Amino acid sequence: MEKGVLDMEVRPMKIQFNAADEAVDKKEARKGNQNRLNKDALATVLYPVLFGVLILVLWQTQLLHRILGTDTFTLPLPGRIINIILANAPEILKNVQATVIVAVGGLILGSVLGYLLGIVAMAFPKWGYGGISIASAFTAVPIVAIAPILNNLTKDFSDDPHVRSMLAKTLVVMITCTVSMAINAYRGFTELKPFSLDLMKSYAASKMTVFLKLRVPNSLPYVFTALRISVPASIISALVSEYFAEYIIGVGRQIRESIVLAQYATAWAYILVACLIGIVMYAILLVTEGAVLKGRRR
Amino acid sequence: MLRTRKAIMDYGKDIVSETEEFNAGIVIKNLSVQFPDKNGGEPVEALRNINLEIKPGEFVSLVGPSGCGKTTLLRTIADLQQPTTGSISIGGLTPREVRLQQKFGIVFQNPVLYEWRTVRRNVCMPMEIMGIPKPERTRRVTQMLELVGLYHFGKKHPHELSGGMQQRVGIARALALRPKILLMDEPFSALDEFTKEKLHLDLQRIWSKTRKTIIFVTHSIQEAVFLSDKVVVLSPHPGRVSAVVEIDLPRPRGLEIKDTAEFNALVSRVRNSFEGV
Amino acid sequence: MDRVKRVLSSRQVVTLVWLIGLIVVWEIVASIVQQTKRTPEYVLPHIYQIVESVFSQNLVNGSQTASQVVLTHAGITLARAGIGFLIGSAIGFALALLMHMFLPVEKIAFPYLMLIQMIPILGMAPIVLAITKDIDKSRIVIAAILTFYPVATNTLAGFKAVEKEKLELMYSIAASKKDVYKKLLIPSSIPYFFTGLKISAPMAITASILVDTLQGGGGLGCMLSQSLKHAMSIYVFWQIVFFSAIIGILSFYLMSLIERLVSPHTKVRR
Repeated sequence: MEKGVLDMEVRPMKIQFNAADEAVDKKEARKGNQNRLNKDALATVLYPVLFGVLILVLWQTQLLHRILGTDTFTLPLPGRIINIILANAPEILKNVQATVIVAVGGLILGSVLGYLLGIVAMAFPKWGYGGISIASAFTAVPIVAIAPILNNLTKDFSDDPHVRSMLAKTLVVMITCTVSMAINAYRGFTELKPFSLDLMKSYAASKMTVFLKLRVPNSLPYVFTALRISVPASIISALVSEYFAEYIIGVGRQIRESIVLAQYATAWAYILVACLIGIVMYAILLVTEGAVLKGRRR
Repeated sequence: MLRTRKAIMDYGKDIVSETEEFNAGIVIKNLSVQFPDKNGGEPVEALRNINLEIKPGEFVSLVGPSGCGKTTLLRTIADLQQPTTGSISIGGLTPREVRLQQKFGIVFQNPVLYEWRTVRRNVCMPMEIMGIPKPERTRRVTQMLELVGLYHFGKKHPHELSGGMQQRVGIARALALRPKILLMDEPFSALDEFTKEKLHLDLQRIWSKTRKTIIFVTHSIQEAVFLSDKVVVLSPHPGRVSAVVEIDLPRPRGLEIKDTAEFNALVSRVRNSFEGV
Repeated sequence: MDRVKRVLSSRQVVTLVWLIGLIVVWEIVASIVQQTKRTPEYVLPHIYQIVESVFSQNLVNGSQTASQVVLTHAGITLARAGIGFLIGSAIGFALALLMHMFLPVEKIAFPYLMLIQMIPILGMAPIVLAITKDIDKSRIVIAAILTFYPVATNTLAGFKAVEKEKLELMYSIAASKKDVYKKLLIPSSIPYFFTGLKISAPMAITASILVDTLQGGGGLGCMLSQSLKHAMSIYVFWQIVFFSAIIGILSFYLMSLIERLVSPHTKVRR
């Protein structure tokens, strides 16, 4: 593959519009790629970290408050937030547990169900795809409406309000995950490279063999595309559905409750926790994706 | 037909009246291009010690298998690639100077037309950048489209045209700036045989009237021998000039020339000049 | 016979069959609910009941019928969602442009953009409300944040998807940076920009409704929670459910329509 001054592999063409650019590029071309890779990696990490530190400084010194026009009551200092987290760790953990169970549970159940639905849609393509398209209309209904409906529908499931709420919340999370996964799984099963089906046919392969050896592996990248949407969505759904649930537990609920009681510092503590949950889960997803899809072309 | 001929004559007249050096010769001395190896190993020698002289108005083909450096050579001439050592002089100017003067015409293998512009506006695009005023632009676009035989397709969008027609638009666009030299990187490889043959004849006609210096990269020996005055044979590892074969077949050349003994003798000569394949 | 078969298996018929099937399932569940619950309308009313309430002339809160309530408040919610959407799109596009033009901006912004994707914005709705202290502003802010992420990432993808040869062509005629952006990069990113818009339009509406629920001040979400708390007929709730689904879908199609008008040459992309 031909490269050169215009290093296409790092990013699209760097256009030289003046002599200065050209001189720099000539020098770099002679120095070789090794240096450039290091400099690039450094920049990728350094810049955002510096920016983050800048924001933190502005925050702690209350300059941020002046910019946004707010006060330390509604936007507490970072130090205070950390303190609150440390002081209330067990309580916070309890709520985190509740939220994570709902989010992850809904995610797994919903994704598995979605995958199965994708299989069904693949087996009956005419009807399947129409069904999935209709189902995707469900995602247009805002969570705010779905959550209460499900709450009411599951009222009689159990006598324990805790269990009832868990069920309702998990169902809400499942809806987005199922639809997203079903659509992507269907595409993964059916968007095959040209002639790969013909190849299988030439080996007189059975439908099951074609499914296991061709369609399933082909669907894995699509599965992860769906998960990239489902994972953050499941967390948001879990948090929002907690607002409407009967039983008062969960990170999202605590955010709401704290604000209603004007305990802003606690609210921010929970917000930070919510962000961390999101980041950790997404990081796990990325690592898993890297492991499962190892070696494949992007 | 008549319209096209008139367009070509007008184009020729424009060229002469514009400037003395409407096309340029190329002198390449001791050119070497090395690519640093990504993993820090030995650098890849794409071209080693190329010496070449191309007269103004010559049609020159660069032929060779993949990896022989023909595209690299073309890109270095076009200032899309920097040489490691050596020099290139185009009508007395460095490639960079020619590029900044906006005197290059390039046709890629993929026509790369803008989907959101009509054919006319696609041909217009380089002239807009050069700042040529609107009436002149319109005149030239019409001239170019007539030259490549696409006058009636001006208002169409690229996706409405076939591959061969898109490539003709690409050629029209390249010629619109009155370039000093025309660089073509395997422009017809993606087309079928029939379209290719027609485009060969078209290109030959355009060249014979406009007399541009053309550097034509291809991997097809037949194509090179049919079109050019001179075929430069490149061999890989490292990229070097194995031979320069003069093609003295009479012009204009029709398709029937491919059946003659002289033609096939030249093709054999070129083929036997490859080293290390 | 063949003709009939072909008509029967066309896409539209399939969709229709599914819709009918869905309605049937709904009605069955609604009937079961009616037998077993005290207040069935709260759980799952019959569809005809909902339709009935749309046309009924009963006043639900002293001065308006159910449909009027829904429509007036829908206007409020949509207006705010719309403003947030426009602001978010503009910022998203500008950010993508800056990120492409200046490498440091891209390096800084990229991880933070990923962060925004990972953290639950909707969950932060209460806090945004607390900071801005104004229900209108907070609606707009949240809609803007939710819009700007998909728009920015998709537009940036659009810039990066430009074929190498097009950039080389620009380079070979020594085009200025301004020209490259104006004539090449920005026009080619339009389809991607619209993909971002199509994703974020329904989300902006959802966000606006959610913020409504947190506090009074009108809007669909407010009516939603009031209806749930028995302050007015439950059918307002159901109407809002359907209405919001419909406008969510419509907003997607609206974006597609606008895209068709702006760039009619585009082939249909996913």
